Amino acid sequence: MSAARIRGLRKAYGAHLVFDGLDLDVARGERIAILGASGCGKSTLLRCIAGLERPDAGTIATTGEVGVVFQEPRLFPWLDVRRNVAFPARTAAERARVDGVLGLVGLAHAAQRLPKQLSGGMAQRAALARALVRDPQLLLLDEPFAALDALRRIELRAAVREILEFTRASAILVTHDVEDALALADRVLVLAGAPADIAFEGTVGDGATRAAILDALGVAEYEGRARRATSR
Amino acid sequence: MARFALPLALFVGWWLATARGWVKSYQFASPRDVLAELANLAATGALWHDIGASVARVFAGFAIALALAIVLGALVGGSRAVERVLDPTLQAIRAVPSLAWVPLILLWLGIGETAKITLVAIGAFFPIYVALVAGIRGVDRKLVEVGTTFGLSRAALIARVLVPATLPQLLVGARIGLTQAWLFLVAAELLAATNGIGFLLTDGEQTTRTDEILVAILLFAVCGKLSESGMRWLERRLVGWTDTVPV
Amino acid sequence: MTPFSRSRFLGLAAGATLIGALPRVARAAGVDRVGVDYAYYNPPSLVLKSKGWLEETLAKRGTSVDWVLSLGSNKANQFVQAGTIAFGSTAGSAAFLARANGVPLRTVFLYSRPEWTALVVGKDSPLKTLRDLKGKKIAATRGTDPWFFLLRSLATVGLTQGDVEVVDLQHPDGRVALERGQVDAWAGLDPHMAASQLEAGSRLLYRNVAFNTYGALNAREDFLAQHPDVVTIVLQQYERARQYAATHVDETAGLLADASHLDRKVAELQLRERTTYPGNGVPDRDFQSAIGGVVSFVRSEKLARPDADLEVSATTLADTAPATLALRG
Repeated sequence: MSAARIRGLRKAYGAHLVFDGLDLDVARGERIAILGASGCGKSTLLRCIAGLERPDAGTIATTGEVGVVFQEPRLFPWLDVRRNVAFPARTAAERARVDGVLGLVGLAHAAQRLPKQLSGGMAQRAALARALVRDPQLLLLDEPFAALDALRRIELRAAVREILEFTRASAILVTHDVEDALALADRVLVLAGAPADIAFEGTVGDGATRAAILDALGVAEYEGRARRATSR
Repeated sequence: MARFALPLALFVGWWLATARGWVKSYQFASPRDVLAELANLAATGALWHDIGASVARVFAGFAIALALAIVLGALVGGSRAVERVLDPTLQAIRAVPSLAWVPLILLWLGIGETAKITLVAIGAFFPIYVALVAGIRGVDRKLVEVGTTFGLSRAALIARVLVPATLPQLLVGARIGLTQAWLFLVAAELLAATNGIGFLLTDGEQTTRTDEILVAILLFAVCGKLSESGMRWLERRLVGWTDTVPV
Repeated sequence: MTPFSRSRFLGLAAGATLIGALPRVARAAGVDRVGVDYAYYNPPSLVLKSKGWLEETLAKRGTSVDWVLSLGSNKANQFVQAGTIAFGSTAGSAAFLARANGVPLRTVFLYSRPEWTALVVGKDSPLKTLRDLKGKKIAATRGTDPWFFLLRSLATVGLTQGDVEVVDLQHPDGRVALERGQVDAWAGLDPHMAASQLEAGSRLLYRNVAFNTYGALNAREDFLAQHPDVVTIVLQQYERARQYAATHVDETAGLLADASHLDRKVAELQLRERTTYPGNGVPDRDFQSAIGGVVSFVRSEKLARPDADLEVSATTLADTAPATLALRG
């Protein structure tokens, strides 16, 4: 039973067709990274899976809870860290997880602080903790480290890696950073074209080498630039 | 301490001007006269009676305005269609200055408490309404999306995300609304009042008692300032979480 | 700016300032405008305004006249206090109160001896006597003769201000409030009172000629001292108007009706039945005793400032010198 199963995804914004019949599978416990040029539609894909956009056609099936972490922490400024993390908790069981999850992201000591008192890295960890409270089967991460500086990025990447190991959740990581993909994912996909489709797919440690990914990205970028030039 | 420097200087200037006779007592009462009249009013109980009457009108009018502004603000803020229907009319009404309302209110509602409280409510309504609509429109969509990803129903989204998010704006609007309430109260109490701080003002005016006039002005200043400080305190307590948030 | 035009600019600015300062210098010598009020309760003022006698006589001195409408004694007192007008029309009692509260005015002329105020109730009012007014809402304009009249009337049956609810409205608004039933009674003032009687059938609950305190023309002491010649001219013309009003009642009624937009019959009621012009306009002993009757009352109802010297204010209110001088020659 896969964590996520997408069939025939079609999404258009007005005249701009983003996807036309995209298929994707994420197995249980599998982590995939989706890379691509900016604007290729990788965030749109994630948002469709998260339920924030409605596809024009196709099916999206997920099993169990889905947790989302955005590029910005998006913490509720009126709640302290603990309450923010506890926000999605509906049952006593979920509420009981709050402390554990705070410990997991290393914010137990800052549970009483307000978001305005947190650094960027800490805020993003709180957002991560919040996404984990419902014990999700699938974690969606939309460029979660983009707003952080290089050092924090490395720290948080390591933290996410540990958390993924610990929770055994599946994950779809959307990023434009190859290192993120190599550090966290089992499988790497590169999205390209208009409408977007999977231009490259490989397993980390096998076909998905840094060189191969960069290559695929470069071609995609080149193609993208060429297309934009001709469509003018 | 710096904030008391200017009032102190003004007070000294005032005292000097009346003591030296640069300003006549029938033009501007001296500090001593004003304090004497204040003490006199306090002794007879008239002071508390008048202050009480004014405060009661302000709070009654303000409460009505708050309720109405929340209802209309929520309706207009929540729907562009409703906005298109209601907002232009409300904006036109908002442009009417306080004293211009007096004859109309006099005609429709007479000279009793209803008329006065209505006037106060008109004044307090608009800042609250405008702030709430702006607050609702300005709610960060990103926060609402978080709520959506957690599968919150529309009602839950409103209660758990929208309401706390608009609270800062609402309170700022309420603070301004309260100030406006006091301003409109002056106009209301010129309308055939039998008590209140505004009554002290017109009484002083009509019987050429500059000491009463100044007592009234002093009381308005103090009451207005206290109201504002009170609201700011409330703001700090309820929405102290605002300011520089990494969202 | 080139040096040339800058100095020119400065020169022009200096010139403008000098020119601006000139009128001030000129004003100290004479007066180029005098503010005079007119009121519906002061018929001679309406005659004076309509005939233009003041403008004629003052024009020779280069002085113009500004006419200001006073809706009541309270307004007239405020205008005099502020210096907007030099001559204000009030009831004697109102002038006295203003003086007691520190406004340095003197009554220099009596323009009429009216019975212009009474307590009015609606046509179908159940109220019959003064005692019935206890606990009722009564419209009265604070600081005017009707207000004093109300309080003095109540005092005759042992009632004070605290026993009724006095609603402060200007005279015309008080009439409307009575007729709309928003108040139970009204301390009325002519011509509005006459109009209410004739047009709405309102009834006079209580009358008392002795409680009416003359039509007083007041001026500030500093004006009297600085411009005695203007004062003389104004008083001479005022007496002329007063005589005219006394001998031309119909015409004056017409003027009143036109000015106040009230019916001719109303004006006639006020002028024929309730206005007389005794004496020669100089404040006399009768005026003095009318004011005396107000003093104890102002004291007991605490209407004046705590530090007011009521007796002194009462005795020094009238200044007979200006009128005596003016009417001698």
